Amino acid sequence: MTRKHLSDAAAAAALHLSRRNLLFGAAGVGAALLPAAAGAATPQPAGDLIDLTARHPFYGHGPQAGVMTPPQRHVVFMTFDLTTQDRGALQVLLARWSAAIAQLMKGAPIGQVEPDRPEAVGLDTGEALDLEPAGLTVTVGLGPGLFTEALGLAAQRPARLRPLIDLPSDALKPDLSGGDLSLQACADDPQVAYHAIRDLARIAKVTGTAATRWTVMGFGRASAGKGQATPRNLMGFKDGTRNIVEPADFDRFVWVKDGPAWQRQGTYQVVRKVQMHIENWDTAQAVQQNAVFGRTKITGAPLTGKAEFDTPDFARKGPDGAPVIPETAHIRLAAHETNDGTKILRRGFNYTDGINAFGLLDAGLLFISYQNDPAHFERLQARLGAADALNEYISHIGSAVFFVPPAPSEGSYIGAGMFAAV
Amino acid sequence: MQPNDRLCPRGLSAGLAVVVLLAQGAGAAQAATAPVANGAAQVAITLSGEDGGRCAVSHTEAKAGPVTFTVSNTGATGITEVELMRDNRILGEKENLAPGLPPVSFTLTLGGGDYKVYCPGATPETVAFKVTGAAAAQPTGTIGALLLEGTKGYAQYVDTTVDGMVVAVDRLAAAINAGDLDAAQKAYAQARPFYERIESDVEGFVLPGHDATDNAGNLDYLIDMRESNLDPAVGWRGLHAIERDLFQTRAITDDTRALATELQTNVGHLDRLVPTLDYKPEDLANGAAGLMEEVQSGKISGEEEAFSHLDLVDFAANVEGAQQAFAFLTPGMEKIDPALTKQVQDQFDRVTKMLDSYRDPNALGGFRPYTPELRASDAVTLSKAIQALQEPLSRIAEKVATAG
Repeated sequence: MTRKHLSDAAAAAALHLSRRNLLFGAAGVGAALLPAAAGAATPQPAGDLIDLTARHPFYGHGPQAGVMTPPQRHVVFMTFDLTTQDRGALQVLLARWSAAIAQLMKGAPIGQVEPDRPEAVGLDTGEALDLEPAGLTVTVGLGPGLFTEALGLAAQRPARLRPLIDLPSDALKPDLSGGDLSLQACADDPQVAYHAIRDLARIAKVTGTAATRWTVMGFGRASAGKGQATPRNLMGFKDGTRNIVEPADFDRFVWVKDGPAWQRQGTYQVVRKVQMHIENWDTAQAVQQNAVFGRTKITGAPLTGKAEFDTPDFARKGPDGAPVIPETAHIRLAAHETNDGTKILRRGFNYTDGINAFGLLDAGLLFISYQNDPAHFERLQARLGAADALNEYISHIGSAVFFVPPAPSEGSYIGAGMFAAV
Repeated sequence: MQPNDRLCPRGLSAGLAVVVLLAQGAGAAQAATAPVANGAAQVAITLSGEDGGRCAVSHTEAKAGPVTFTVSNTGATGITEVELMRDNRILGEKENLAPGLPPVSFTLTLGGGDYKVYCPGATPETVAFKVTGAAAAQPTGTIGALLLEGTKGYAQYVDTTVDGMVVAVDRLAAAINAGDLDAAQKAYAQARPFYERIESDVEGFVLPGHDATDNAGNLDYLIDMRESNLDPAVGWRGLHAIERDLFQTRAITDDTRALATELQTNVGHLDRLVPTLDYKPEDLANGAAGLMEEVQSGKISGEEEAFSHLDLVDFAANVEGAQQAFAFLTPGMEKIDPALTKQVQDQFDRVTKMLDSYRDPNALGGFRPYTPELRASDAVTLSKAIQALQEPLSRIAEKVATAG
């Protein structure tokens, strides 16, 4: 089987369908088997077909992969604390990570699994050896704690990188928050994503540069990219109907356009671990759930419309004189119409951590957003945290912010430019 | 500029340029003798991304004397190290060679003979390198000699540790035979660290008349077995069975006395067997790595000392033993890989400093008891500190096994 170098997974899936590697999304199977329950059977969008041979390039002259890339089915996200203030050690880490990520995204091991010498430990741990690249992307983020005087990087701090402000309803846990570095590994095979993070974490330890801080393993993407049907979060609602998909919107809302060259085409990554109080939600009436979101559960249509992509009419009032989409509905408070046009790219995933200490299902949303200013996220979350009807059913328990520099060109590494500039 | 100009020096005839190109295509390198500058022959090693990773050597011959190898990685993402080897021994190397980092060099004084440039992950992985001229005389104070000296020093450390254990176990048995619970608990705490310092070296002994699968003759089982790994056919023996009596049932019985007497006998066997051990340098490195695994699997979980909660005492002893093994390798390691040596030393320092914060002169064994509460609050911090030590430490065995 040949592996094609693919920049557009959707086009790739349409062109290179191989029976062995082609899986249909669960939603597609459901639509075929249960047309009555799922509404009219519609053709599966090309972006929802999984091609495990799909590969994305790591090197380039634009943004890093894993932001505009149509979301894969699985994520492993991990943050790290720097354990040294040695500038050279950080350079080595970013260079070793970059080289290793380039290998991983090709579906190749990062080094010998069984070294020639019997006394040696393997460089690659091996669990992805027989697996396809599965559309893996690994995206590297630089946290606010990296830009210190000790590392000689204080002057290189991206202009809008700082810890997030305290936001209403925050219930953040220190051991699920922060970090000096982040890795977001997304793939259509969870083992491929896990292998990537595991082996990159080993490099952090063997170079003595960084230690693991917190991690979330996510599944079932909770936002759609171009060419993909809107998926559902664990509350059962379509999530990301009004997400950014068009290149013009990426240019306007996501990519950084100013500052030194090494920052341009970068973006800011905001990550929030949002716990859902699943048992409470499941006992809420269906009509109440719809009112919380401002949409109907099955179709995803706004309460003022019939189809998912109908524009919500926030002004319309019902016979009782109250707005059809309630004042505290999630979609009203988050809408760009009510936030001076502010939009952010959402690229989240569902997660579960099993059962908590009280015997309750421990699950939620790993919210990941990309924007050219973290203040845009703060603006939206300040409103949502204060008034969102959804707050009764969720808690923001983890939080972090990172600058995601652009992709390195071949022969260089992530963030190399910040060490060159003096 | 013609494309070929990048691959051969200017002024060569077109015919020679073609030959050179073909040779490089086959994975070989230029056979010309390396030019001398700054008193050393200069050899450039370039790692590039073609064919999944190529390792090109500018000259495959040099005259005997100092040779400087300058390594640059222009695009090989799967190659992170380069070594110069002779007879499978590493004479010099550079690591962390990711694309984008500045070139690095190492200089070796080489005698005449056949060498290899080894680039793990490259196609092909080795390039032959020939040095012409007189063979180098074997200098004294070689890495091999330093490592050998280290193994002898370490063997003495293990012997001394077991000597100490014999005395401590005799005291424990005396307190038990006297029926003094308080004194026996103290003596238990004092007897524990010895075995924990060296256990990865001494856990392979089988008493005469038993086969290797028979726990009744397995000295490690008879001395240090925990409740979680009991063999019903043999029963619970040794230090942890005594721990149960002293700290859980808190009663010294005839069974306790019998356990103590048997332990004295078995530690006596250990004392006679340990001087027969012969160590290779990598045994010290593997032993140290093994002790760190013991910390992760037994101490941080609180499983080792389930009744006495002396896990931090054992933890400190495991670390001390590993640090000793590493210290005996350090004179050689400093010549092999000073950066890795310093990194491991720094991580040992961090771990010992962290352990110091748990010291309590009034507590049994000198460390705070590792209660379930302390475990809940501190296990993650302890585990992370050990992880940061484990990975670099795990790379030492290969270094010392292949050093020349």
